Amino acid sequence: MDYFQGLRTQIRTYLVFVILAENILLIGGIWYAVTHLGISLGYVALGAYAVSIIMTFIITFAAADYSMQPLQAIWQAVVHLAPHEQRVSAPNINKLVVGRVLVSHLAAQVYQIASVAEQAGPAPEPAPELKANFVAGSLPLPLFVLDSSQTILFANRAACAYIGRPMEDIGGQDIRSVLRMSFTSEHTLDSWLQEVKQSSVTASNTWERVRLDVTDNQPTRLFDLAAYYNKGNSARYETLLVLFDHTKRYSQDDQAVSFMALSVHELRTPLALLRGYIEALEEETRGTLTPEVAGFMAKMSATAQQLSATVSTILNVARVDNEQLVLKLHEEDWGAVVKAAVDMMSLRAQVRGITLKLTVTGELPPVGVDRIGIQEVISNLIDNAIKYSGTSKDVSISAGLNGEGLIETTVRDYGVGIPVAVMPNLFTKFYRDHRNRAQIGGTGLGLYLCKAVVTAHGGNIWVKSKEGKGSSFSFTVLPYSKLAEAGKNGDTKEITRSAHGWIKNHSLYRR
Amino acid sequence: MDSTTQAGPGGKRVLCIEDEHFISELYARALRQAGYNADFESDGQQGLLKAQTDQYDIILIDLMVPTIDGIAVLRALRDPAKTPHLKAKVIIITNLEQRDEVRADIERQADGYIIKAEITPRELVGILDNLKLS
Repeated sequence: MDYFQGLRTQIRTYLVFVILAENILLIGGIWYAVTHLGISLGYVALGAYAVSIIMTFIITFAAADYSMQPLQAIWQAVVHLAPHEQRVSAPNINKLVVGRVLVSHLAAQVYQIASVAEQAGPAPEPAPELKANFVAGSLPLPLFVLDSSQTILFANRAACAYIGRPMEDIGGQDIRSVLRMSFTSEHTLDSWLQEVKQSSVTASNTWERVRLDVTDNQPTRLFDLAAYYNKGNSARYETLLVLFDHTKRYSQDDQAVSFMALSVHELRTPLALLRGYIEALEEETRGTLTPEVAGFMAKMSATAQQLSATVSTILNVARVDNEQLVLKLHEEDWGAVVKAAVDMMSLRAQVRGITLKLTVTGELPPVGVDRIGIQEVISNLIDNAIKYSGTSKDVSISAGLNGEGLIETTVRDYGVGIPVAVMPNLFTKFYRDHRNRAQIGGTGLGLYLCKAVVTAHGGNIWVKSKEGKGSSFSFTVLPYSKLAEAGKNGDTKEITRSAHGWIKNHSLYRR
Repeated sequence: MDSTTQAGPGGKRVLCIEDEHFISELYARALRQAGYNADFESDGQQGLLKAQTDQYDIILIDLMVPTIDGIAVLRALRDPAKTPHLKAKVIIITNLEQRDEVRADIERQADGYIIKAEITPRELVGILDNLKLS
């Protein structure tokens, strides 16, 4: 009510002022004309009347105009916000002569009502401008436009074809019920949208290998998803989704890993038997064999164990390549983890006459590792150290806390060393030193896998070597406390991995 | 290979549901020499029925057994409606890697998962020796 009082006062003030000013000027003019210019009163009076009539018209028109402005501004504000109306721009309140405060206040109310109505209103019809838009309609990629409550405002031809439902069906529906998507991690479209709605004005993101869950008669689809979010878009187009279909390629990748898994199974079946028979034979012949033959038995055992490890390495490398190697990081005692790995390798070292020496320096904090995964790393490094030991009989493994608070582990051999030319390619796949290929068998998968696993743990791996003197491979793992900081959860929601095996709350390799 | 139980005095009772005859033989040899009472079933359905008698401390299940597979056996054993009480620790033994679809189930419902090619029979015995039983 104050605003109206203000407007009333404004109009009255202006009018009174203008009319008073006009009268004063007229009377002053008349007096001046009669007394100083000597014009007769009659003519002056006529002149004054003429001026007065003209002024009346001017003042009246002006007053009417300026008084109508607030009303016009409010009309403009309302129409501007009404849905599907002709495009009217927002009112320019600063151009008003009177009633600026009143109009600002009313306009604000109107905006508020409009946004509330938008949220509470019935499902909006698909935006007509988008339907007619060439780019949106003809884009050969499925495109969805969503409003602030994730309701589908528009889906182009490609999108409707992709999910096999017409626009009439899906317009006005929640995207989550129309597109049932499974993501490869817990960072889903939903979780991202919740985040950006709070913290950003615009944002974009992509997801790979999103799976469209199978519904009635639609096959499984695999695609990459790109999303663009903008807050407070005037046409309510808040989120844009574009899908890039890769069903064929991704399912082939899955096939490739399945083929690998099947092959691995075929290899493992006779391998398990072989290892069992070798062990039984060793037990049954203990004490009855010559040292040489007993040595053969031990070597058979070690070789079979190594074969088993190689089969696992092949499978894991295939997984790394298909981005399917995932690790479960738990709180572990690093000393125990390293010791178990070293124990596993003891037979293989022994048959080559090599002694493994383990030193753990200082009190180590609990680490965040995938036990099986990281043990594979240590085993691979020890395996390499044994292979390249040449005539040396020692391999040393040391672990301790480094200057950056990370747990650093080093496997050192005193053998042939690595030529400088070879060093840059050491952690790549299939790399083998051409000079030694004839003497030492094996694939170049081990170090490649080590690097992938260590990196996935958040650590680093590097090598120092001198030809003829030996090599030392070092890697770091994070203390469990640091992992928690870095936002990687240890025990609750983590990505899983299948491994040699695991026993809950139990050390698999304890003897 | 079907059940041939050796009545050892106070030895832990193990049921092994495994259809590969040769590996059963090797495991039986090692388990019995270590003092375990070991029963073997080569069929999934038969194995489940035996397991449900709740007379075992440890149950080893191979994933690929006939009639009903290892996962189905595991689920049935962990379903209170089908198996009201089971004191045994259940361990999956297999040469298969965990497939996505069953991974979650196994991790939740089994007490362990061992890849046969990664261990010898004696090593299996060592693992079972160290299992904390209820």
